[in-house]
Amino acid sequence: MNFIVFLKMVPDVIEELKIAGDGKSLDSDWLRMKLNECDEHAVEEAIILKEKTGGKVTVIALDAMELDDALFSALAKGADKAVKITGNLQNIHSPAVAEIYAKYLKDNCLIDNKTLILSGSQAIDDIEGEMIYFLAELLNLPVYGVVTSVSYNSDKNDLTIMKEFSGGIRGEFEVEIPSVLGIQAAENPPRYIPIAKIRAIMKTSTIEEIEIPEDGLTEKIAIDKLFESEVSGRAEMLEGSPEEISAKLIEIFTVKGII
Amino acid sequence: MDPVDIKIFGIPGIYYLWLFTVISLFFFLKRAVKIVGILKKAKPENRFGNFGRQAVNFLKFVLGQRRLFNEKSIGLPHFLFFWGFVFYAASFWWNLIKGLLPFVPIGYTDNIGIIGLALEVMGVLVIISIIIAVLRRLFFPPAHLQQTYDATIILSLIAILMITLVLGQSFKSVAEPSSWSPVGKFISASFSGMSGSSAISLFKGMWWIHIITVLFFLAYIPYSKHMHLLASPFNVFFRDNLKPADLSIKGAGDDISSGASKWQELTWKDLLNSFSCAECGRCDRVCPALNSGQELSPRVILHEIKEHLYETGFKTPTNGSHALIGELIPRDVLWQCTTCMSCMEQCPVLNEHVPVIVSMRRNLINRGEVEQTVQDVLKKLQRYGNSFGQSDRNRAKWTATLETKVKDARKEEVEYLWITGDYASFDSRIQNITQKTSMIFKKAGLDFGILYEAEKNSGNDIRRVGEEGLFEFLKDKNIQAIKKAKFKKIITTDPHTYSTLKNEYDLKVNGNGENVSIQHYTELIDELIKDKILIIRKKLGINATYHDPCYLGRYNGVYEPPRRILRAIGINLEEMPRNRSRSYCCGAGGGRIWMEDKVPIKERPSESRIREAVSLSNVKTFVVACPKDIVMFQDAAKTTGNEDKIKVKDISELVWDALESQ
Repeated sequence: MNFIVFLKMVPDVIEELKIAGDGKSLDSDWLRMKLNECDEHAVEEAIILKEKTGGKVTVIALDAMELDDALFSALAKGADKAVKITGNLQNIHSPAVAEIYAKYLKDNCLIDNKTLILSGSQAIDDIEGEMIYFLAELLNLPVYGVVTSVSYNSDKNDLTIMKEFSGGIRGEFEVEIPSVLGIQAAENPPRYIPIAKIRAIMKTSTIEEIEIPEDGLTEKIAIDKLFESEVSGRAEMLEGSPEEISAKLIEIFTVKGII
Repeated sequence: MDPVDIKIFGIPGIYYLWLFTVISLFFFLKRAVKIVGILKKAKPENRFGNFGRQAVNFLKFVLGQRRLFNEKSIGLPHFLFFWGFVFYAASFWWNLIKGLLPFVPIGYTDNIGIIGLALEVMGVLVIISIIIAVLRRLFFPPAHLQQTYDATIILSLIAILMITLVLGQSFKSVAEPSSWSPVGKFISASFSGMSGSSAISLFKGMWWIHIITVLFFLAYIPYSKHMHLLASPFNVFFRDNLKPADLSIKGAGDDISSGASKWQELTWKDLLNSFSCAECGRCDRVCPALNSGQELSPRVILHEIKEHLYETGFKTPTNGSHALIGELIPRDVLWQCTTCMSCMEQCPVLNEHVPVIVSMRRNLINRGEVEQTVQDVLKKLQRYGNSFGQSDRNRAKWTATLETKVKDARKEEVEYLWITGDYASFDSRIQNITQKTSMIFKKAGLDFGILYEAEKNSGNDIRRVGEEGLFEFLKDKNIQAIKKAKFKKIITTDPHTYSTLKNEYDLKVNGNGENVSIQHYTELIDELIKDKILIIRKKLGINATYHDPCYLGRYNGVYEPPRRILRAIGINLEEMPRNRSRSYCCGAGGGRIWMEDKVPIKERPSESRIREAVSLSNVKTFVVACPKDIVMFQDAAKTTGNEDKIKVKDISELVWDALESQ
């Protein structure tokens, strides 16, 4: 099997986030990027599947700060190939990201009945997990998000997956191959890779770089304004005798124009 | 009268003596060569550090038998065994040489008056000791005594040797009475009527039984637990104890981060530990993991390695042989070690258990076989440089509410660079103690600063968990930051950080090869009080006990400064039975603070310690000098229901109380 995993770097919210002067983006001076947590699970799931069924894992991501560390870490975990897509990729969002990925796949990979495409089911800047759906649409493949378990049936060459719905409901699906899966949680938590292994892989492997030009993308989404969540009104406790409280209430209602 | 001068079947005795000697040496050397061969196949390690220091160790711990005296009942007897053995062995070789090479102009030892006297008097004492030993084993065996077949054989052999010696002397007395042989003379009185010639034959018989037994003993030693007689003197010599429980493996060549899962991946010194072990069990008796009801036994770990060597190292390994990690030594057992170093502190032959355990942990880390909580912490450390998974920028948050800003040692020159460590910086239970320490420094007019977000976890626990690469990574970052700062001395809060900076960072003063001075805050406060820079007028007048943190006490020998501080602030110090080098670990070291207890714990080490403190009459305060101790012992005081009986206090809190109340 050929496992293709799309990864994304997202702002690390452990660090303080500040809005840049343009009011539309995050201040990169304060920003540290980390691999999207669900994507980390997607890598783990791909490697677990590879360990069970054999095959090859390719991890692909758009260039970003600290991306190389994430890619080398994936290689150290057992990925076979890491690809970094470069180009002028500032301020693009899920639909355009999916377009770039689709373009990459059409030019570089054969998508056959031995290919499974995985990614995280959501990210802090793609909370609804749209990317996989845009990508599946462009590739004309079935897609399942919020997947929490995947097993391969070799006799039928298909997958049994578990998908979570809201309200604690889960559904089991038989899924054909090829398809696109948005992974919520891998079978095991992402494994720890000792630094020595990552350093060793840095010496022996390379990250393939491919430039995909931004022009020709059809995305029309642009951020208009970015702002910190506003503090809403706080509860106010009224104290005193019932009469005093009633009087205060009437006053507040009058000021607010309720009565 | 030459005892070798006999004829059996017409063949002179000397031929038999040569034959027996050759057979004995053949078996002895065969085994010795095999053992050396095994050590040569193990991982290399340079243990030729400093001949002078090694020689001193040899004098102290081999010839002086110093560690044996840690357990009083056996200290003197073993000292006598050892020297008795040396004496008899010397006498044996002397006699053997005379017997084999009759032309050598020396006499048999029993004919040299005073030596003969010593031989027979000591022989009687040994016979008495053996009777005591047998009675002890039969009727009052201590709980920890391992009653083995092996021990019975050895005791019997010694008994045969001494009885033949004493009887030999007695028979000789019949033929040739000597004033140097009072014991022989005494016993010979009961042989009245024996003819001179039959006495001489009997004497020769005894001599032969004696020498054949010794030759058998010689061949048997390397096959028995008395192997420690041969291996431990070397083991002591090659323990370079300049650095406590050194994990660096000098001269190992390739990367050590992958650790050991097979015996070939352990160093030769690691294996020599196992051959030196006499299985006395001192390590087990002080091990906080074992005594809290877990499975880890330092003795069994070394023993399993030895058995494994006999199983696979001496033969061609078969498919049926056991894996060292997982089968012989379960993974969980390796994770139970707190690296408190009590085992190493007690071991009479100076075995190094902690480095062996860490080597095997390295292998587990390398294979990702470590529990999830530890993996999570390591990920945090990899990314943020602290075990709390907080932003670097929060490291100095504890300074925010101080009246005066703490200097940034990266930006301005200070006398003291203060490395606080993770717990003192990030843990909300400890931050106020760190503030008090800084207020004490300020009151003393100390010129100090911190590294703010440039300080990273020093890597003490990380290294002991087995993540050598991450340790090196963080060490490099810290060294870079420290090199950029301008300062004269380093002070630390956490003993774990202290020990690692002091012993594992190799920080040199810029320009010359001198080591940077690194002090624990208790050492500094002690100096400040001694130099009358901190003047304490108010005495607290409370009763307290002090817990020696492993990495301050056992690892670095800092026992007195904290005690002097406590006395200076008017505390009546009552010692717990386990104090100083016998201090009982809180259970947090070696990464244990990040792990869950897997097996049902009989009594956590910290709980045992709190109970020990509570049992002292009048003690209401439990003083510590390590941030992790605050966390561990405050918990233990709660879980043992002693929260009202004893308060856990950092030494800084008490010093501050004494200063503030002036």
